[in-house]
Amino acid sequence: MRSAPFEYHRAESLDQAVDLLATLGEDARPLAGGYSLVPMMNLRLARPEHLVDINPLGLDHIVRDGAVVRLGGLVRHSRYAVDTTLRKTFPLFAEASSHIAHPVIRRRGTLGGSLAHADPTAELALLAVLYDGVIHVSSARGRRSIPAGEFFKSAFTTALQAGELVAELEVPVPATGSGHAFFEFSERKGDFAIIAVAALIRAAKGRIAEARIACAGALSAPIRDANVEVALVGQSLETPGALEAGHMFAAAHDPMSDIRATSHYRRHLIAELVRRAVEKACAGAGGAA
Amino acid sequence: MSRTLERPKSIGARVHRLEDPRFLSGRARYIDDIRRPRMLHLAIARSQEAHARIGEIDVESALALGDDIRVFTGADTVGLAVTANAEYPEVQFSQQPLLAQGRVRFVGEPVAAVLADDPYRAEDAAGLVFIDYENLTVLPGIAVARAEGAPTLFDGWRNNLFVERQMKGGDLAAARSAAVHTMRRTYRTHRQAGVPLECRGVVAEYDPADETLTVWSSTQIPHLLRTYISEELEWPETRLRVVAPDVGGGFGVKGQIFVEEILVAWLALQTGRAVKWIEDRREHLIASIHAREHEHTLEAYLDGDCRLLGLQADISVDCGAYSTWPFTAASDPGMVAKVLPGPYDFGAYEATFRGVATNKCPVGTYRGVGRPSAVFSQERLMDDIAAELGLDPVDFRLRNIIRRFPFKNVLGFTYDEGSYAESLEKTRAFLAPDIAEARRTRSSDEVRVGVGFACFIEQTAHGTPDFTRRRVPIETGYESARVEMMPDGSVLVEIGLQNHGQGHETTLAQVAADALGVTPQEVRVRHGDTLTTPYSVGTWGSRGGALGGGAVHRAATEVAGKLRAIAAHLLQAEGQEIVLGAGYAALAEDPDRHIEIAHLARAAHRNLERLPEGMGPGLAALAGCDGPADGTYSNAVHAAVVEIDMNSGKLTLRRFVVVEDCGVIINPMIVDGQVRGGVVQGIGSALFEQFVYSEDCQPLTTNFADYLLPAAPEIPDIEVHHIETPTPLTPLGAKGLGEGGAIGPAAAIANAVSNALGVSVAETPLNANAIWTLIQSATGRSETGE
Amino acid sequence: MNTICLHVNGVSHRVAVEPRRLLADVLRQDLALSGVHIGCAHGACGCCTVQIDGAPQLSCLTFAVQCDGAEIETVEGLGGHDAGHPLQKAFMAEHALQCGYCTPGFLMALAPFVEQAIEQGRIPEADEIREAMSGNICRCTGYHGIVAAVRRAIHDGIQGDSP
Repeated sequence: MRSAPFEYHRAESLDQAVDLLATLGEDARPLAGGYSLVPMMNLRLARPEHLVDINPLGLDHIVRDGAVVRLGGLVRHSRYAVDTTLRKTFPLFAEASSHIAHPVIRRRGTLGGSLAHADPTAELALLAVLYDGVIHVSSARGRRSIPAGEFFKSAFTTALQAGELVAELEVPVPATGSGHAFFEFSERKGDFAIIAVAALIRAAKGRIAEARIACAGALSAPIRDANVEVALVGQSLETPGALEAGHMFAAAHDPMSDIRATSHYRRHLIAELVRRAVEKACAGAGGAA
Repeated sequence: MSRTLERPKSIGARVHRLEDPRFLSGRARYIDDIRRPRMLHLAIARSQEAHARIGEIDVESALALGDDIRVFTGADTVGLAVTANAEYPEVQFSQQPLLAQGRVRFVGEPVAAVLADDPYRAEDAAGLVFIDYENLTVLPGIAVARAEGAPTLFDGWRNNLFVERQMKGGDLAAARSAAVHTMRRTYRTHRQAGVPLECRGVVAEYDPADETLTVWSSTQIPHLLRTYISEELEWPETRLRVVAPDVGGGFGVKGQIFVEEILVAWLALQTGRAVKWIEDRREHLIASIHAREHEHTLEAYLDGDCRLLGLQADISVDCGAYSTWPFTAASDPGMVAKVLPGPYDFGAYEATFRGVATNKCPVGTYRGVGRPSAVFSQERLMDDIAAELGLDPVDFRLRNIIRRFPFKNVLGFTYDEGSYAESLEKTRAFLAPDIAEARRTRSSDEVRVGVGFACFIEQTAHGTPDFTRRRVPIETGYESARVEMMPDGSVLVEIGLQNHGQGHETTLAQVAADALGVTPQEVRVRHGDTLTTPYSVGTWGSRGGALGGGAVHRAATEVAGKLRAIAAHLLQAEGQEIVLGAGYAALAEDPDRHIEIAHLARAAHRNLERLPEGMGPGLAALAGCDGPADGTYSNAVHAAVVEIDMNSGKLTLRRFVVVEDCGVIINPMIVDGQVRGGVVQGIGSALFEQFVYSEDCQPLTTNFADYLLPAAPEIPDIEVHHIETPTPLTPLGAKGLGEGGAIGPAAAIANAVSNALGVSVAETPLNANAIWTLIQSATGRSETGE
Repeated sequence: MNTICLHVNGVSHRVAVEPRRLLADVLRQDLALSGVHIGCAHGACGCCTVQIDGAPQLSCLTFAVQCDGAEIETVEGLGGHDAGHPLQKAFMAEHALQCGYCTPGFLMALAPFVEQAIEQGRIPEADEIREAMSGNICRCTGYHGIVAAVRRAIHDGIQGDSP
């Protein structure tokens, strides 16, 4: 169970990395943490002919820039639990990342790697979609920006084109006093989610002013549901109709079946986790009334 | 000097393991650490179809990779096979060829052997072997395989049964007609793999200098492997050496003989070079052995006092595509039939058991073998009956439990002394607060707590007659040991048992130390190498402590006798009692008259003139220990406390309690370790470890992302309590215990879930989806909504 | 072929490696470090854990070429021939190993956790300890002895005892 042969290249800067990727072509992949790519290579499910090691790039900033926070593509998952900027503005990153595999893997896995890998159940992809993040990608052709809602096409498939690297995730800071919630259901702690749900509630005068609910594990990429979000607006924080919101979200989609869970069970979990997330986010937003 | 006669007793002490330093410091030598000069690496091209005829095997692209590449196929290994049969007419003959002979019967079956100078290249080349398949009808499970008109897996078979037989005792018809209550249920346990953390591996090398073929294998049965290779390859056993190095877990998985082992030996002879094969994880999951896929239909008959009168059982096991050596496809189903009577007192029993052939990985012996599934059915049935009759489940068991010993059960097996009722009462007392909480949360819509018990016995340390009965290729139960004291007074124990985590280097040292009056640190235990150890059937069947310990005790006692005789002679105290302890031999009556044991040892080897008249030189003995005819029976009760989130289906295992009795305990620390390790594997069997095949028998769980093992956060503290009821049947009074931990958890957890939800759990696994489905039926909800 | 320099357990080595060779294989074969074990080759069991530049990493998911110039520590470097590191001694005292195959991986993954807890002067809760070892699978012990060993090593480290 070992990889097929490949050539190894080490990039010392972002410019060098994208130049290498452009030159080497479609059979070149960037190597960041490697904990998603290398298992696939060892199993011979992926056979890149070239690996461009981008670990020397740095690119691991977490900075507040006015109304947004910018996270570099090489931010390792273990940073979220300890970064003070992020914990204040986006508490869900710490919470969600605690569900990513195990401590040794979290110390190595990267944000850009996770987003580019696009596992349908990935926690960080879910948060990118929840927070309406923008993914900035770099290539030899320059830089372009892709809204999170358009980035994840389907399982392991993104809007990334050949030669593009995830350089940064930009997330607009939620209004102060917003309520955040994250729930994940998996067989064992750290396993890929069967269903994960994240919610963000902005309140005004005791009522929901804006609601965002995102779900991973239902379909081949994380999803939002505009109908559910609209229906929640105007509800009181005390009785937001979380149960109905859950049922509405679950009824609107036909979740996948696999060896972990049937479609029926997933549907039930969607309803249940949406309910819990709405209740918790509303409770967290209550202080802002 | 006047020292009191200290005889620190080693048996029963929590001696830290003498073998630990090499494992802790990374010095241990496992199979992949064996490196030989000019060694070739083997990769195996395996079938990608579940059932097919093989046409052409195209090896051109593989060979084109380089001059070092060689490929062998079934055409080169005609007639070589692993043949596992039981000698009675109800068994149909089958064998697994080393390399497929024109037909493959499960995904993963070896088709071609590819050799290269390094393992990466071998894997590259194996990926370039192209096999032409002509698909045949797939037998995906018991139902299809048994259906009328199903094609047979082997030419000449009358149906797809490796074996079908009966076991019976007493008058079941009478029990049935006398019954006031009858209960009939079907229970199923799912398929899983065994998964030691170290995969299998073999290295073989022929040395022309001494004309010896050496085979290293990560095996639990080195002597049996030697005999098998000798017979199959027609190679004299005196010129064949099999070595089990340090082994990274066996659990019975490595207690089989595999085609890969014979293949590597054969390739070493063919090429004249050392050959190494190291299994990878995917191969292990799809092509080593599987376990536990059972279906049992039980019918119990009870009188008006809720006492069991009789039990009828119909037992099917999905045995996969081949019968495994040495226990054969009869092993799992036959064992279920044999152990179903369990610890309960009833006089009529009839069991029909069968091993069914399907296009899956062969089933073999994995910790507990047929017992976890048997106990699942037995203990689920006890709870189901209790629930039906409105009885407390523990009271119902106590009403039917065996209390007088020795007890001859309905099949004629004799149970030696045990603590069945006592262990049940004790466990119930430990669980009192949880039982109360379970009652309080009985109708909760949020979180329910459930408590479940499993009470079982385990036949261990089987003696020769037990094997003779089975008529399978493993004929005997004895164990033997050679004990020798060196001139410096240190002790060498050589035993054919093979240690793969059980701590034999410590426990057997403790046994020898006690008999010889030295410390365990002065005893070196050698095992696993057929060149230096007496013949043994290996380590499995919970036999190591009882039989291995028994053999060491006897041999050491013989040497001790000689030491005493020399001491008496040198102390001019012939005929007086000599005691050995703390490195000295002293007169029992007058300990001030003593002599160092090391002194005696030197004399025995080097100063023959100082020995008693007529005594020969040396200080060594070889002794054997056969198991009791019916083995010796350990007993245990497992109890599980589960917490179920009624809204999500999440099951949390809050508490797990074991009360166990394995007779005299040699090293409590090691016993606790064996119990806990077994329990966690049992928890894995109940909740996580499911091997899944598609409808056309393609394996779907081929790595650890899909095949889930219990990890530390999922496991509660496992509380272990001991009762020690010594058995008169083994030299030390010890019974076996290696597998016990793995036998009870599925039953206990399933009973706890049934208790929490008020529904009868009939199958495993109890993963999240299964729990949720049970919740739906418990609360009367439909599948699609509230 | 790439020529790289690995500093392993305090000794520098120059090795020529094909890019696809795993760090685990190079350590085991080229440097004969039998204490590095491979249980799955896809990062799910933790057996192969070593320390690279001070942090525990999975050597089955790391190519040796990525480690040119890196400081690597394996279990052989932890406590030497006689396993003298406090965590190793605690493992022995608490029967935290049986077959030993997963043991180096647990030791390399947990040693930093233990050191950090000693520095902080507090003994973590059981669930914290189990979370710290959640990436390491053991098939033999049921984890009980390993949790006890971690607790003992931290306790003794805080007291300043040598076990």
